[in-house]
Amino acid sequence: MSQFQRSLRFSRSFSLRLRRLYLGVIWKGDELIDGASQTIHMLRSKGKKLVFVTNNSWKSRSQYAEKFKSLGISVSQDEIFSSSFAAAMYLKVNSFPPQNKVYVIGGDGILDELQLAGFTAFGGPGDADKTIDWKQNSIFEHDKSVGAVVVGIDPKINYYKLQYGTLCIRENPGCLFIATNRDAVGHMTASQEWPGAGCMVAAICGSTQKEPVVVGKPSTFMMEFLLKKFNLSCSKMCMVGDRLDTDILFGQNAGCKTLLVLSGCTTQSDLQDPSNNIQPDYYASKISDMLDLLEA
Amino acid sequence: MLRCSSSIAVTAGVGVCHTQRLLCSLSLPLNYTFSHSLRNPLLSSNSAFLKWNRNINSKINRFRMATRALAQPLQNADELINSVETFIFDCDGVIWKGDSLIEGVPETLDMLRSKGKRLVFVTNNSTKSRKQYGKKFETLGLNVSAEEIFASSFAVAAYLKSIDFPKDKKVYVIGEDGILKELELAGYQYLGGPEDGGKKIELKPGFLMEHDEDVGAVVVGFDRYFNYYKIQYGTLCIRENPGCLFIATNRDAVTHLTDAQEWAGGGSMVGALSGSCQREPLVVGKPSTFMMDYLANEFGISKSQICMVGDRLDTDILFGQNGGCKTLLVLSGVTSLSTLQSPNNSIQPDFYTNKISDFLSLKAAAV
Repeated sequence: MSQFQRSLRFSRSFSLRLRRLYLGVIWKGDELIDGASQTIHMLRSKGKKLVFVTNNSWKSRSQYAEKFKSLGISVSQDEIFSSSFAAAMYLKVNSFPPQNKVYVIGGDGILDELQLAGFTAFGGPGDADKTIDWKQNSIFEHDKSVGAVVVGIDPKINYYKLQYGTLCIRENPGCLFIATNRDAVGHMTASQEWPGAGCMVAAICGSTQKEPVVVGKPSTFMMEFLLKKFNLSCSKMCMVGDRLDTDILFGQNAGCKTLLVLSGCTTQSDLQDPSNNIQPDYYASKISDMLDLLEA
Repeated sequence: MLRCSSSIAVTAGVGVCHTQRLLCSLSLPLNYTFSHSLRNPLLSSNSAFLKWNRNINSKINRFRMATRALAQPLQNADELINSVETFIFDCDGVIWKGDSLIEGVPETLDMLRSKGKRLVFVTNNSTKSRKQYGKKFETLGLNVSAEEIFASSFAVAAYLKSIDFPKDKKVYVIGEDGILKELELAGYQYLGGPEDGGKKIELKPGFLMEHDEDVGAVVVGFDRYFNYYKIQYGTLCIRENPGCLFIATNRDAVTHLTDAQEWAGGGSMVGALSGSCQREPLVVGKPSTFMMDYLANEFGISKSQICMVGDRLDTDILFGQNGGCKTLLVLSGVTSLSTLQSPNNSIQPDFYTNKISDFLSLKAAAV
């Protein structure tokens, strides 16, 4: 376990840095973490490639780019990998037939990315107000051409969506069940924790008795996609995050360097607790330490 | 731990290697005390224990597949009827389908009663209370009293009573009217239920959802009015109220609300809470043996004198096997002969037959 300052030499050789997008690394709620903007600027000036990876599927990449812009940081959507984008890429990489439809239990972020990738997707927030006729002789219909159900965080979850997704997976032959991620907690507001995608995904697991393909962290799908896209090797990459069991594990599973920042949900005592066995290569209090240490 | 392993050896044998299914199959002692829940490894998500569970489960599963005989078609109905004192019937797919009675049911029940057999009806459906089910039986022309009916809604109240759940604690309900009625009858205070189905949340910066700190148990069952408000409320209670119980009426993946098709079942709502709390619930409905232990105790019957009749392998038949009684699968509900005989199925009832009125026709044939 080495302190960041001693190993700064290694960091200079990295051509790519992977950053955990939201709470705890770049921003907390709607506020930028101290020094994040200057650090990003410094890394860019040194020719480092920056990528921002998030499990939050609520927004699309272009919506995340807008959020960065509103916080005064210039990030292009090509540098952002949200789990909503990952779901669309998974279907593309696996040659999902364009004539098959995709049913979405989640937000506009997923619908937008699927549509951008050329797929016919429906459901999402539009199904939030749908009701069911409970009479004995009525039938709940579902589209037989749905070939995949994508499930992500959905604060507008209801029985209609659960039933629609369940029927597609159980009755449409070969229908895929894709989860953007399985985080138990989502950060819908900064003041408390909220049920994450893991909740909606588990609901569908419960009614279909099937396990999903997970495209978000800590699954390595996004990493493999990135490596291929930027034609790089892991040895030239550093994953920066604030969660040991998703971010750091994600980086370790992929074989790249890992840097834990203590500006989010993990404290130094969590890291050094004898019960913790996930050890990143480096740790720092926040990303702007890179700036401070370089200038020192 | 030794007690756990011996009960696992007896009760395991599931077709699906789901951790929660194995946990469901373990019976709860009737004098289970409230404080024990905090120490019982079965009730916490102890991942080392769960991994051990999975290993044992798959070993025992292979052992069971090798030793349990294939289900036999029921031929000598008399022999089965004479060998037991009590018949436990599942309802959906055995007695009725949706709101229609299955052919020959009234005559079959009358015949069994005339032979002095005790009849009990056990259903995982928590939408009605046992009294409301009594009315349904009456509407269908069947002579069944509420005391003979054990719905999972009743099981929740019976379980809370068995652990002396404090009357000054509240119960948050994610489920329908049946659960609320049974809790009320048992004298417990509750919050939630269908009314919370209309509650909306505005996820604005600065919004904070409050929850009642006196909630000592969250009960989750089939819920057509399921929404994010309820999931968050239940999650906050389970995560933040010390010692708060997480109870599931059942985990059925699908249910037959109408006889035309399958509907996402209680397993979906329970899965959602389990996914957000990262905890496994205490299951009171089938295949957990809680209801079996309760009625055996209530009526003073020995389990070897019981035959469980149902249409689902992974709830009804497993419930019967876990309880150590005879099992009869009927093909008038969700399970077909090809499912029973599929190489992927490892749950073998003692007997199978088309429908319960075969008791009458097979009897006549045997004479």
